[in-house]
Amino acid sequence: MIDQLLIPFTYEYMVNAMLVSALVGGVCACLSCFVMLKGWSLLGDGLSHAVVPGVAVAYKLGWPFAIGAYIAGMTAAMGMSYLRSITRIRQDAIIGVVYTTWFAAGLVFLSIYPASVKIKNIVFGNLLLIAPFDIRQMVVVSIVALGVLLLKWKDLRLYCFDPSHARTIGLNTWALEATLLVLMAGVAIAALQAVGAALVMAMLITPGATAYLLTDRFGRMMILAAAMGAITSALGAYASYYLNGSAGGTIVVLQTLVFLVTLVFAPRHGILAGKARAKAAAEDLLARLNRESFTQEAAR
Amino acid sequence: MMPLLLAVDLLEPLRQGFVIQVLILAGLIGVVCAVLSCYLVLKGWALMGDAISHAVLPGIILAYVLGIPLTIGAFASGMLCAVGTGWIKARSRIKEDTVMGIVFTGLFALGLILMSRVASDVHFDQIIRGSLLGIHKSDMIQVYITSAVTLGVVLLKRKDLMLLCFDQAQAKSVGLNTTFLYYLLLTLLAATTVAALQAVGIILTVAMLITPGSIAFMWTSRFDRMLLIASSTAVVAAVVGTYISYFFDGSAAGFIVLMQSLFFIITIVFAPKHGLIARRRTLKAALDQI
Repeated sequence: MIDQLLIPFTYEYMVNAMLVSALVGGVCACLSCFVMLKGWSLLGDGLSHAVVPGVAVAYKLGWPFAIGAYIAGMTAAMGMSYLRSITRIRQDAIIGVVYTTWFAAGLVFLSIYPASVKIKNIVFGNLLLIAPFDIRQMVVVSIVALGVLLLKWKDLRLYCFDPSHARTIGLNTWALEATLLVLMAGVAIAALQAVGAALVMAMLITPGATAYLLTDRFGRMMILAAAMGAITSALGAYASYYLNGSAGGTIVVLQTLVFLVTLVFAPRHGILAGKARAKAAAEDLLARLNRESFTQEAAR
Repeated sequence: MMPLLLAVDLLEPLRQGFVIQVLILAGLIGVVCAVLSCYLVLKGWALMGDAISHAVLPGIILAYVLGIPLTIGAFASGMLCAVGTGWIKARSRIKEDTVMGIVFTGLFALGLILMSRVASDVHFDQIIRGSLLGIHKSDMIQVYITSAVTLGVVLLKRKDLMLLCFDQAQAKSVGLNTTFLYYLLLTLLAATTVAALQAVGIILTVAMLITPGSIAFMWTSRFDRMLLIASSTAVVAAVVGTYISYFFDGSAAGFIVLMQSLFFIITIVFAPKHGLIARRRTLKAALDQI
């Protein structure tokens, strides 16, 4: 029994897959705390879909897949922040318009030059089929992103909580927003190769949201989120050995389950705690009313 | 001789029976989605179309396993996503769009796992991506019925739904049943998304539920006009996009979205009052006055 459970560890590519997904999952989770605070939920989804034309063109030209992906992702991110600054349309609608445009351009390109890249691999991702070059590039991107986050995390935190305060104490908020956007695009693309476009969004919001239910302190929130992201990602990669390679699906289902359990049982912000609080408040009120009517009667 | 030849070539698609059918279908879906998109853009629900169109996956696969019509499974899991989002949002301190993202990615991931476990001859990703040119007769009828019902209900309840999207508190205070309207809008959205999905695929469905409303919102501040502008841009984009795709032999859905995006860019530059040029002119006039 135990022998069977240990089988994945005897394959080097499985161990690599687990380590890489733990790293990418952990970094995504750190970013997800900022995403939560800024309300950028749709952005991860948008960026990960927007890479498709870049990938398609890169394959056609014989460039590495990642370069095309980063160019497309960055141009989409810049397009979004430019449009937001010049129109009166809500941010979520802008993100939607831009990313569907990029994705459609990719779709058209792929339909005219077919077989240049299997769209299925971009949309669904495949952790176990990643080339060594891609693994190295994912590791580098994740470590750089983590380093920048750790170096700048106080400034970034202040910017997310209170941009106007950050500006008054002399921080360059535009640079901070750009940093965060670039980090997100980079990490989204690294994660995309592991779990696929449709699920990157989950890696960029679910851990942050789960940690937000557990604590009110930002430092703790980041640690909790990172731990959850790394553990679920490694577990998902491990389970995918038995599940025919749908690692992305397993990772995200695990994260969603952790979220649901937290939602119910979280000590202060969970549903049960909320109910218990409401009940205690009701009993308290009842007791006070009883006491008051009792004293009134006694006075009479 | 040359112009004549060109004219003959350009009219060629219109002589193909199926192209006419596809044009009508794409136009119809365009109108229904465009009408809904006006409400979604105002309510800040741009993500909702995205969410429902991904969330249908587990339902489709379970329906396939159980042998019931795929549409029913799709609708059920789409509604589960929408209702689940509302339920969690009401009971936690997390923002609505984040909750929506968690729920729909969770469902989609579940669908992916199910898909890898169920061996079948049905290409589920084909269902998700949709195929305008290869659409089935029964799917077509279903799209017609769903579109007619959705359009009818929206037109009947136009004012009430508008108030719900603009100002929920006001809607409640004038005695509207906001819970009913909320779920009515969700149901219409889920039904439309499921119908559109099979015909045009996820990405076009998402685009059609956001872009026309955003375009119309730049042109006018009156809701009735917004509905008109959104639906007419959607129809023109659908017809022109399908038509172009015939010549390039490319993805019809992709070209339709690109046409809508082109209209969006034109709008951003030229829209009266809110467009780039108009804003520059207002700014200049203000500076001149000073």
